[in-house]
Amino acid sequence: MFYQILLQIFQKLNNERTVSAAYHILRGKRSGQTIQDVGLFQLHNYFGLLPKLPRATFDEAVSTFLQYSWLNMQESGHYSIKKLGLQRAEQTTTFLFDGWHYRGNEHIFFARLSLIVQSLSYHKEGIRSFSPISKDVQVQSWVRAFLQNQQYQTGQIQQQLYDECLHVLTALPVTDANKQLFLYRLSGHSLPGWTWQQLSSERKETVLNSQLAFIELLHILLNEVHATEDYPLLSIIAAELRVKALLTDSAQQTAYLYEQGYSVEQIVQIRKLKQSTIEDHLVELAMNEPNFSIGPFVSYEEAEKVWQASKQYQTKKLKALHDVVNELSYFQLRLVLAKGEV
Amino acid sequence: MELEQTLAKHFGYTTFRPGQKEVIEAVLKGQDVIALLPTGMGKSLCYQLPAYILQKPVLIVSPLLSLMQDQVEQLKRLGEKRVVALNSFLSAHEKRYALHYLEQYRFIFTSPEMLLQQQVQEKLANMALGLIVVDEAHCISQWGFDFRPDYLRIGDWFVQNNRPPVLALSATATQKVVKDIHATLSLNAPFEFMYNVDRPNIHLGRVVFEDRADKARWIVDHVKKTAGPGILYMSSRKRAEQYGETFIQAGIRAAAYHAGYSADDRQFIQQQFIDGELDWIVATNAFGMGINKADIRQVIHETMPANVANYMQEIGRAGRDGEPALAILLYSDGDEELAKFVVTGDLPSVSHVDRYQELLLQHVEPVQMLKNGELSETAFRVLDYWYHQESIEQVKARLNYFALEKYQAVDEMLKITQTKGCIREQLVGYFGQKLQKKPENCCENCGIDYDEINIVRAQEVKKVEMVAWQSRLNQLLLSD
Repeated sequence: MFYQILLQIFQKLNNERTVSAAYHILRGKRSGQTIQDVGLFQLHNYFGLLPKLPRATFDEAVSTFLQYSWLNMQESGHYSIKKLGLQRAEQTTTFLFDGWHYRGNEHIFFARLSLIVQSLSYHKEGIRSFSPISKDVQVQSWVRAFLQNQQYQTGQIQQQLYDECLHVLTALPVTDANKQLFLYRLSGHSLPGWTWQQLSSERKETVLNSQLAFIELLHILLNEVHATEDYPLLSIIAAELRVKALLTDSAQQTAYLYEQGYSVEQIVQIRKLKQSTIEDHLVELAMNEPNFSIGPFVSYEEAEKVWQASKQYQTKKLKALHDVVNELSYFQLRLVLAKGEV
Repeated sequence: MELEQTLAKHFGYTTFRPGQKEVIEAVLKGQDVIALLPTGMGKSLCYQLPAYILQKPVLIVSPLLSLMQDQVEQLKRLGEKRVVALNSFLSAHEKRYALHYLEQYRFIFTSPEMLLQQQVQEKLANMALGLIVVDEAHCISQWGFDFRPDYLRIGDWFVQNNRPPVLALSATATQKVVKDIHATLSLNAPFEFMYNVDRPNIHLGRVVFEDRADKARWIVDHVKKTAGPGILYMSSRKRAEQYGETFIQAGIRAAAYHAGYSADDRQFIQQQFIDGELDWIVATNAFGMGINKADIRQVIHETMPANVANYMQEIGRAGRDGEPALAILLYSDGDEELAKFVVTGDLPSVSHVDRYQELLLQHVEPVQMLKNGELSETAFRVLDYWYHQESIEQVKARLNYFALEKYQAVDEMLKITQTKGCIREQLVGYFGQKLQKKPENCCENCGIDYDEINIVRAQEVKKVEMVAWQSRLNQLLLSD
């Protein structure tokens, strides 16, 4: 699964970046460049899937790709996908990750759910003291408050949580094996969970692949919970975990000033930042804010020229596009690409 | 009679366990005390009970946050509300509140780090404590000198006039460690109580091999023939994983365990072991803290541990139910070299001292060494601490001394693997005690009939199988 994801990212990056760009996307790096790549190449679902991915694991995968002749790599780190690689990428299934909206928060959801299930399981056996599966103090106090609010002592919440879990899991377009994976990361009284080693050897795959299947299930489940009002308890457990502010903090401040009517030059002065930085923020805004208009910066005719050139030459490389549409600045080009075709 | 009444009233027991009464009486007389009591033998009662008689707050310094939390919860379950844990988990607001009302509490738990903070010290200086308890006091020596400088720094705090008596508690301590505790905490002619370290139901085996391959064959053969539950202690994470895999391939219900696994995975393994789903844990010395499993039948050491104290602590996890259990120490040529390599791995070297100075001269923060991965975090902490205490030459001499001490500790352990005399006598003697009586099947040298102790492994032990997700959901939340 990891290889397939990586291959898909390389395919989408269209040979226009170094391999490291893929690494930064998987780790969810909050830099202007990575955020722009996500929008430019439509890589939202893979953003921040593995915030702790070790560079060595990534590099190993890349050298495997070179060995398999899926990829060519230049000294600069730029790569190009080879025919074999493209064929492989075509064969892979579509994954249903939603990294952009969760960015690792899915693990907070699961930590809460694990501790709730564990508490209820021990409560059912009349045992009040046990070693909590989550050592995170924030998760612990969150769960304590949740259980008290739900008046868990009446015993009704068990049945309701069971019904909601059964209902949501049944609804998910996910294999039974992956649902089993989810259930075996939960634990209760006399029902220890299984370690990643145990699960992955049972599933005959690497630990990383088992973990990715688990993350995908969490993303799908969270989206399902957010989409309807059928899961009142799970909605509370998932509350506040879907990322709403899609901009970096600094871009957020620029956006605020821009909305107040300040010009780029004025914002540069007020914020004491370089013009290029403010331009980065506006590009980020163009990418993430459907209501943001690039009209004040480029005309519709100019934008259309860029789209046509991009299509004709099959590229999103700024340099190449600038050669064709040389009357526009790089900033204008980036805005047009960020906004995408209207 | 008063003590027994207090015991019954607050704790619901009618009699004391060995040692408890002596320790409590000494504390109440205002004496400093060093009490060595094994885990699970009611160490905590030695300060809990006096708290109800002294009518002044008891301060408990505890090195491990998890331990602190356990004890706070235990007291709360006993119905005690006047208990607080002053630690880094508190928010600024909670901490201010706790400090403001500090004298109202009966039990004040805190960490050595917290004790070093000025506002905490000032508050404590202005209130009357009934007793100061240093829990897991061996950390002062074992970690204090070369691992956690914070534990060493609290020593200064004990040199004060009119301080209340100090009670130092530990489960493992040799004569040498007791001396360290005595000196570091500036104790005043303390009353010392030490439990009997001998565990007659643990039979002490030892097997010597020509080479490592022989040893490996023996281990796999042994676990195939004899029953668990057991722990196989290994010297490294990598080897623990390898053996774990080998065991699983051989059809043994086993799992590897080390600090490299995530906290939830570690807890899953512990739970599987306690619930009887696993027969063997192949572990580094990270396994054991807080494991309460009474029926562990075997503890095997694939290679010698760093010192005799660790060895005793690790084999002490066997046979807590009082039934016969077996500890087998394996040895092949050169094991001591490996042990020495491992024990000094965490120490900074003499060249690290030079490098530290060089960076300072270049106006570079020495912490850069840590960031570059030139040495481990503990090593840097030690270096950083001593560099500010002593001259370069003294620091170097100290580091050499640390290494030497660790080598000597390995050599002590080596003697156990080589002795032709009674192993039990030697182990007990290491703790300054004299063996009262040799049990049947005492040790390798006195003679062990392994067949009398080992239980033959049942052939058909089925691995736990996964059930469908719907069933597991039902088991977790609904079914009884």
